[in-house]
Order: sequence, then structure tokens, then C-alpha cells
Amino acid sequence: MAAKPALRRRVLNISSKQFSTSTRSRAGIAAPEINFKNPTEAGGSDGEAPLFYARLVPDSPSYFTAQPVFTDDLLSLQNLLQRYASLPVVKPGEAPRVAWQTLAEYRNIVGEPVKATKYQRILEILHRLNHIHPSLMPAEVTSTLNQYKREVNPFKNTAKSPFIDEWGKALGVGRRKTSTARAWVVEGTGEILINGKTLAQTFGRVHDRESAVWALKATGRIDKYNVWALVSGGGTTGQAEAMTLAVAKALLAHEPDLKPALRRAGCITRDPRKVERKKPGKRKARKMPAWVKR
Amino acid sequence: MASSGCWKCLARPSGSLTSQLALRTPGVSAAFSTTTARAALPIKAKKPSQARPALKAKGSKTLRIKKKAPAKPSGKPPMPGERKAMRKRIVLSNTNALEVPMMDFNEHMVADPTMAGKVVALPGEVVDSLRAVEAFKVNQGWGLFRKPALLLREESAVLGQKMVAAEKNKEAVRLVIDGERGSGKSLMLLHALSAAFLRGWIVLSIPEAQDLCNASTEYAPLPGTNPTIYTQNVYTANFLAQIQKSNSVLQTLHVTKSHNLPIPLPEKTTLARLCELGARDPDISWPIFQAFWAEITGPARPPVLFTLDSLSFTMGLSAYRSASYELIHAHDLALVQHFVTYLSGEKPLPNGGAILGATSRSHAPVSASLELALKQALEKQQHGEIMTKKDPYGKKYDTRAEDKLKSVEVLKLKGLSKVEARGLMEYWAQSGLLRSRVDERLVTEKWALAGNGIVGEIERGVLRMRI
Repeated sequence: MAAKPALRRRVLNISSKQFSTSTRSRAGIAAPEINFKNPTEAGGSDGEAPLFYARLVPDSPSYFTAQPVFTDDLLSLQNLLQRYASLPVVKPGEAPRVAWQTLAEYRNIVGEPVKATKYQRILEILHRLNHIHPSLMPAEVTSTLNQYKREVNPFKNTAKSPFIDEWGKALGVGRRKTSTARAWVVEGTGEILINGKTLAQTFGRVHDRESAVWALKATGRIDKYNVWALVSGGGTTGQAEAMTLAVAKALLAHEPDLKPALRRAGCITRDPRKVERKKPGKRKARKMPAWVKR
Repeated sequence: MASSGCWKCLARPSGSLTSQLALRTPGVSAAFSTTTARAALPIKAKKPSQARPALKAKGSKTLRIKKKAPAKPSGKPPMPGERKAMRKRIVLSNTNALEVPMMDFNEHMVADPTMAGKVVALPGEVVDSLRAVEAFKVNQGWGLFRKPALLLREESAVLGQKMVAAEKNKEAVRLVIDGERGSGKSLMLLHALSAAFLRGWIVLSIPEAQDLCNASTEYAPLPGTNPTIYTQNVYTANFLAQIQKSNSVLQTLHVTKSHNLPIPLPEKTTLARLCELGARDPDISWPIFQAFWAEITGPARPPVLFTLDSLSFTMGLSAYRSASYELIHAHDLALVQHFVTYLSGEKPLPNGGAILGATSRSHAPVSASLELALKQALEKQQHGEIMTKKDPYGKKYDTRAEDKLKSVEVLKLKGLSKVEARGLMEYWAQSGLLRSRVDERLVTEKWALAGNGIVGEIERGVLRMRI
């Protein structure tokens, strides 16, 4: 039981010497034939083809259940847990965060209509096994857990914390619509240069100017930092609002405590809206062609 | 009556015939006598589309919604010239604004760098003179305050020092004021004008070069000139009137030289009277202007300030046409030529003075030669050498403009410093226009939003964009 792979075990090692194709089709559900060879000739001769027996013996005792693979999995996990239940565990919530395979993914692998409540039983055992203390985690358990893990662990993807380099400048990157802004923020006296131009030269609209430095203005830091930024792509509104995010992120490197204030000012969340694609049969994304009589 | 259908088709009369008959029936059937029918106007045959509205022309499938007729303007239209008068009206005082205690601008403040950041009031007589030379412009927001006042800047002290030195050494300051849009170029000219008025200079000012070059005033070739020079007599007459009105000094100065003028000039004529004579008759305004200039550049006269705004209009072709229908170069216009000759330094000002030009960055043609000259002059002033070379393939350069701009100085205006911005905003707060507390934070915020202190943008952000 221990050496048996939990999942992906449906393709078995089938001898290439099988003469009948029908045996091959049965391989998935049936155990290999019992060799009733004469013990005297069992040692040397292998040139003789094995005999074909009509009666098939199931590979697993759970063959006659509704979801045999699932049942096997559950039983093997229960077995595993039973064996290692005495190992010390970490406190609840301190185990490494793992994203298990979703129900849909599991169903896809086993090829059986597993119910959510049933799968939940597997997850409970996995969760318990995951709480075994990492220093004492048996290799067997680790390999079994790995089989149930999602391909990519989303919890490993953590945001990089912004930092201030040796010259005292912090870089922040912001995006909006199709614009991208990179802002380097240093302590200073409120001078702002965007693409080598002043704020007034870059943005004709006063509203856009305010958007660009909104992170500083909303927190009352406009006279305490200098900003040097590069903006590209998109139009003026996009560029100005990309600047908002970039400046806010760079400002967070200097003053991390400003995060709640900046979130209230709307400088933390990236606006995900983009131009909606055009659809066939429509003039634009949503607009229908004009009504025509007949 | 001849039928419109042919005789073979009598059995099936055409549609138009039946309709005609049907329409005429009352007249035809009622009259035993034909008189009334004859006397009455013949009934017009209706168009087939009106007679049968159900039938539509073939092929028109689209939905047609009848458009509304445009609304007719109600009320009396403004009288001729009323709109322009309204547009050009300069309001210099606002009784709703609070009175601000401040010093009057005087001749000692002109070159004083310690006054930077202070707002000073313009004295009444200077305001009158400035109004006469059209130094105040419509969009400068004079109507927001109780009385006209001026912010003294570091750059204005620099310009003032140059003017004072020129007065002392009897030299000419030849300077072009440049800077981005809203950086206070025209106000710097106004500062120079008021300084000159205060120091008793003779002031000539062309408030907008556009008026000279965009073919909106009369022009005529000057006889006996080759290449032909064109005078703008009406403009020159008006110019002389402005000079006479604005310069009170001219009342005390008398004609000393003998001039070859089309009109006899009495002995002991004052220069003010001379200007008046020129202003009265546009035909002789140009010779009188020349005589006037000869007088003021004569010995023992006060220094002269000659300014021109929107310089780039004069650095290329004007909109005027010659007799052979070619565009006239702006330097062939007599008054412009006069200005650029002195700006280039070809002729000196023997009593000292200043020739100032200011560029315009909002509504003016781009003159490649002027841009290059300004850039090179600035590099020469800052680094001692010219780094920008003329584009060898550039076709937009104007050789005549280049010649004239070779040796001019540049005064590049940048944004206000924070001290100056603070002085200005405190003045606004005292006038009751800015209702918030003027502190470091507000000043820096407005200063930064205005592109590092561009004064026009500060004004826009603080006074005009109030939500």
C-alpha cells in the first residue's frame, strides 16, 4: 500500500507479450492474471506465452464501489494518517499554507464523479497531515501531500516590499488603462519632474496634475518629497492616474505607516478597468447597429 | 382643353388627369357662367407626393426623423463694435476686493533685489500711462483687485539693475524676455514700462506685434525706398497718440532740430505737440515719427524705452502682400524695421535706454530662427559658449531674423521662488480672494501643482479654479 502511487495509477504495467487485445482493454480494471505455472518449469523457460484465463480478478477490493479510485485514495490517506497520528503537530494555523487541488481538478484526474462532501474528507486528512511538525515530517507523507498539491502555489507569490536605495530614492511602479509610470521619490522640497518636464508642462488639465501628485497631496507630504518620474503609454488621464499609484508605492517605502491613509485616498488599489473589446455584430463593444426598417 | 393622355387611351385616363378633374369639379360644375371661374385664381395642381402621401419613393429604407428647426435668437443683437469693446475692456479696479496696505512702487525699488517677493501698488499716474500704452491686457486678472499692483521678483530686479546701469552709462539694453507660457513675460515688460515711467524715461510700446503683422491695419509703400518699405500710417498715428498721452515728459521737451516735414512746424514746438500733429493726420504720421525719434535721440534727452510684445510675429513673413502679390517680410514694415534695427544694435541709443522684446508662448507663430537665437544666447550667457548648432538641413530659418538676433541678450523667466509665491498668495489672501490660511504647505502645494511656480498656473490654480 505504501509504495503504491496514490493518483495516476490507472495505467498499469502490462506485459508487451500479451497476445490478446482484449486483455489490454481490461488492464485498467483487472489484476494481472495469476500465473499457475508448473513450479518445476517456472525457473528457466520464458519463451512460452502465458495462458489466457477468462475470469478476471479486480485489482482493488474497492472495484465494486461507485468511485473505486476515490475510495482507494481515501483509504490510503486514512491509513497514512493512522500510522503517523502520533507525530507531534504544529499549532493550528502555523502549518505552511498550501493550496490543494480543487474539486474540479481532482475529478479530472480520477475521472470519477466525486461529490464535494466526499472530497472534503480527503481535504480534512490532508490538512491534518500537513500539520505534522516540519522537522519530523516523513518523506512518505511529503510525497503523498505533493501529489495533492496544486501545480502552482499561489501563497508563495508575495508582494515585494519596496525599499530605499543607498541614495535615498524609492521606486514605485503604477499602471492605469494602458499607461505605466515609474516614480522615484526622494526627500526634498516638492519639486516634480515627469519625463523631464514640469507638472504644468506634462498635464494641461489641473485635474490631471492633482491626480499625479494625489498620494502626496492627500497625505500632506507634497512639500517633503521630490518626485522624478517616467511615464509612457496611454493618454493623459491614464498617465496621471498611473502616476498616483507609482508615487503612492514609492511613498510607502519611506513611510509604511501611511498605507491606511493612502488606501482611503484611493492610491493603493489598481483600477483594473480597461477598454472593452469590440464584438462582431456590434458597432463597438456594446453598441448595436442602427435600426433599419425591413 | 387638350388632354394630357393620348386619344387611344381615353378608356383609361392617367392618374394626373383624374386628379385634376376631381380638383376642378366644384368650379366646373357650379358655373353656368364662366366669369367667377375665370376671375378666380387657377387652382394649383398638387404634387403627386402630396396627393398620395402613402406612396414613398423607392429605395428609401432608412428611418427618417424630422429634425427640429434651429432656435431663433431672441433679443436685440449687439451694435457694431459693441462686442469688441466688451472683449477689449480693461477693468483695473474692483470695489468688492479688500484694500491691501502696501507700498507704492517707486524708482528706488526698481533695482532693489531685497524687494523680491513683495507686492507693490502702481501709482496713479503710472497706471494712467500704462493704460495709455495698452500695457494691461484683458486676461491678466486686473479686475479682481482693488487697484493694480505688481509682484517684484528676482528677475525684475535683474532687469531693473540693467536699466539703471544703462541710464548711467548711456548704453542700450537689448534684451528678449523669454519663458514658458504663463511665466510672466508680459508682466515683466509692464514692470520695465512702469520703471521707465517712474524714472522719467521716454516710453514707446507696441503692446502686440500681431496687430502690426497680421494685415489688419492699412499699409502703403514708402516712396523712394529700395527695397520697398511699407508704412502703416493709421497704426503709426495711433502709436504717436499713445506716446503723447503716456509720456508727460514730452510736455517739457522742445524741438531743437530742423526737420523736412510736409507741414510747417512753429518754433518752440513741444514734442508732445509734435506727436499730436502726427496723430491727427495719418498721412504724415511716419515722417513725424521719424522726426520725433530724431529729437528724442538727440543730445541731452532722457533715456528711451522701446518695448514690443509677441516678438515672433516680427521674425518672419507678415500677412501683407506686395504689388506683385508676394508676402512682405515683417522687417520691410517701417515700424517693425525701426524696432529690430535698434534691437539688433545696428544703431545706438545715444542717451541710453532699453529695447525690450518679449516672446509669446500661447498664441504666436513658431519662429525657428528666434528659437535658435534665444537658445544660443542663453547658452552663451550660462556656459560662455554656444553648444546648439543650427540645423544644416533646416529650411524654416529666416536669414533676416537671424542677422538681427545675433547679439541680443536673453532674460529667461522661470517659475517663482517659494518666497515670491508666498508673497503673492498673501496679497491674494489680503485682497479676500484666497480664503484659506497661507502657510508653507499650501504654498508648496500650489507651487508644485503649477509646474514649479509658473505664476500664471499658480493664479489659475488658486484664483480661477476654485471649486
